[in-house]
This record gives sequence, C-alpha cells and structure tokens, in this order.
Amino acid sequence: MRGLSLFRKKPMSLAFRSLCLSPFSSNSNLKIFDRQLKRKQRDRAAWLMPQNDPLLHTVAQNLLDRLHDCKRTFPTALCLGGSLQPITRSLRDHGSIEKLIVMDSSYDMLQACKNAYHASNNDDNVDALFLVADEEFLPIKESSVDLVVSCLGLHWTNDLPGAMIQSRMALKPDGLFLAAIFGGETLKELRIACTLAQMEREGGISPRVSPLAQVRDAGNLLTRAGFTLPGVDVDEYVVKYGSALELIEHLRAMGETNALFEMNSILKRDTALATAAIYDSMFSAEDGTVPATFQVIYMTGWREHPSQQKAKRRGSGTVSFQDIHKHFGGQS
Amino acid sequence: MVRISKEAMPSLVKILSDILVCPLSKHPLRYCEQSNSLISDSIGVSFPIKNGIPCLVPRDGKILEEEDASKPDNDTNLSTVNEENQQRSA
Repeated sequence: MRGLSLFRKKPMSLAFRSLCLSPFSSNSNLKIFDRQLKRKQRDRAAWLMPQNDPLLHTVAQNLLDRLHDCKRTFPTALCLGGSLQPITRSLRDHGSIEKLIVMDSSYDMLQACKNAYHASNNDDNVDALFLVADEEFLPIKESSVDLVVSCLGLHWTNDLPGAMIQSRMALKPDGLFLAAIFGGETLKELRIACTLAQMEREGGISPRVSPLAQVRDAGNLLTRAGFTLPGVDVDEYVVKYGSALELIEHLRAMGETNALFEMNSILKRDTALATAAIYDSMFSAEDGTVPATFQVIYMTGWREHPSQQKAKRRGSGTVSFQDIHKHFGGQS
Repeated sequence: MVRISKEAMPSLVKILSDILVCPLSKHPLRYCEQSNSLISDSIGVSFPIKNGIPCLVPRDGKILEEEDASKPDNDTNLSTVNEENQQRSA
C-alpha cells in the first residue's frame, strides 16, 4: 500500500498521459517512444499491478487459445514483455513446454513475475529463465526457440517490423509467433475527451493518446517480417469503470501510460478535470459507469518450413473455374 | 524427470550457450564468474546479472576498460575506426 499512496500524491500531470500505440516506423532511427521512460513506468506498474487483472487475463487466455489449436508441441518458449504473469501461468499449465524464457525490459516487473512463479511452483519440470532485455535488441540466438509469445508488449516498440523480424530469426523453422497488440479503436473515448478538453481549456492539442496501429497494418507487418501463414484477428473489449479517473488508474497499473518521446509533460489540473468531466458526460452509461474500449489485434505467424502448405505457382492450375462451377451446379 | 532448480548457475551457463547472445552484435556471450556478469567480447561490453536475472538491455551494459578487453586486435580495430572517423570529420 505504501507504493500506492506514494503515487496518489503525484500531480495530475501523470494521470492523463494515457495509453498510446505505435505507428509503424520504417526508419529504425526514428524515436517515437521513450523506451527508458517505459521501463520506469513498467517498474512502477510492477508494484501497482493487481494479481488477476481481468483484461490482461482475458487477452492472455485468448492468445494462448491459439496454441491449443496446434497439434505441434513447443518445447522451448520465449515470452516477450507485456502482461507477463497471466501468460507465464497459462504457459506453464499448457504442458508441452519444457523450457520457458521470460523476458521484459523492466527489472521490477520481472522480479515480481519470478516471485509469483516460484511461489506457485509445484515441482513441475519446466525450466524457467528470467531475463531483462529489450524487444528491439533481442538477445536470443538464431533458430533456438519454438514459440515466441508477446502479449500486449510490442505496441511500445519504436521499430515494430524490426522487433518482429528479430523474433522470426530467433524461431526455429516451423516455429510459431503469437502476439497481441492494442489496435486503433483502443481508448477512442479518451482520445475524444482529451482532444475536446484541450481545445476548450488550452486552445490547442498535443498528443495524449497517440496514433494507433490499424488492423490492416497487422497483416502487412506479419508478411513484411517474413512470417508464413499469417493470421490476424481482432477482439474488442469494453471495460466499465466507475469514473474516468479509475480508467487512468487502471492504465497506470498496467504500465500503459503515455511514453511518447515528444509528449507534453505538463498537464494542467484544469484540463485533466475537464477531460474527466467530458468523458463522463459524453460516454457514461445509464448505470453511471463509463466504458472504455480496448481493441486487441491478435497476430499469428510461422517461420518458414518446407512442410507448410503454400500457394501453387501462378498459372499452374489445369482446371477451369467455369468447369468447377458447372460441376457443382452453380449453387450460389 | 528430475531437475534441480536450485542450481541456478550451471543451468544459466547451459542456457547461455544454447540460447543467449549479445543483444547488439548477436555474437556469443561469455559468463564471468569474477564480476558475475555476461561479457560480449565482440563489442567489449559487460552485462550485469542481478539476483540471477541477466540484464541484457543495451543501456544496462558497461563498456569494459581497455585492460579487460580481451584481444589486442580489438583495440587496433577500434583505433582504425577512430582514425576513419577523424578522417571523415576532417
């Protein structure tokens, strides 16, 4: 509790640096996010994070559902930063995993995850290695893991294609890449409220919630990173909060507060309160709660392997589509 | 299958040789018992191990002093690079 009360004392300026997501940079030198700040925020989140966050838990479950669809087993799994605890818990229960590498850029987050892992350790035979590292500089040897999972972490990377390419290199042939990132519709209510409040109080806007990754980009990203059999699907979760301030508390506990490199670090109390008021008046439901949308994009991709199915060469077909149509009687 | 999880160091060393590489150069790392750190010889940087957790974020790495840097040809490489830089800036 000490940690919590400490953060409450901080000025409101921290409160409304809200979640933002990456536009894709083609230039790796382009700095959109302050990774160092993100590490600090995640250090802080390690102390604030509740044991079972329903949103993170649901996303982790959904992501790992995809593993159950595969007949293949994954002896070595690498878990990239993001919501670590739900993922490691579920991965360990999954069974087929023998060696688990857990990675995050925040030491405190990782230590918390390690403690939770060992606290619930019931003499299973999963080798776990905890590792502080940056997704943009993946310290994993080429072709060494069977599975890479990233749950709500990759949207903070400056160079998302680069991070995905590094993940692909780390995978063995026929290895699976699974990722969940926040997508374009996330926090649209907050975005609107922030913009309106800033226009009203300050006569201009600065990015509080940054441009987001769109669903169509996700497929392009997978293809660009060289994954085969790419798959993308989207889920939207609406979380209901008692007030807009509770939403911000939640974002902070998840470590998803704003880390834009060029963000305006001053937020007037006035503007913050106006944002909360606008949020409440525009979006609150009949029962008095305020909803917040979280759009999650799930991506799956495989590292290339000769055993995988692929499209035949263009022009190699020998049967006319008209014949097929005739054969099946033109049911449509 | 019986595994002794308490023996952190040997398993770390094994995983190290199997999986971990330097985050910047992607070359192998070496475990230094004396300083309890992972050393990337290719770029002369050491990464600390805190409480059994290797910290491989580039920012956490420390550039090794010259006497620690293992190979003399590293130094010559560095000096030629420096010379090149000077030529460029000149």
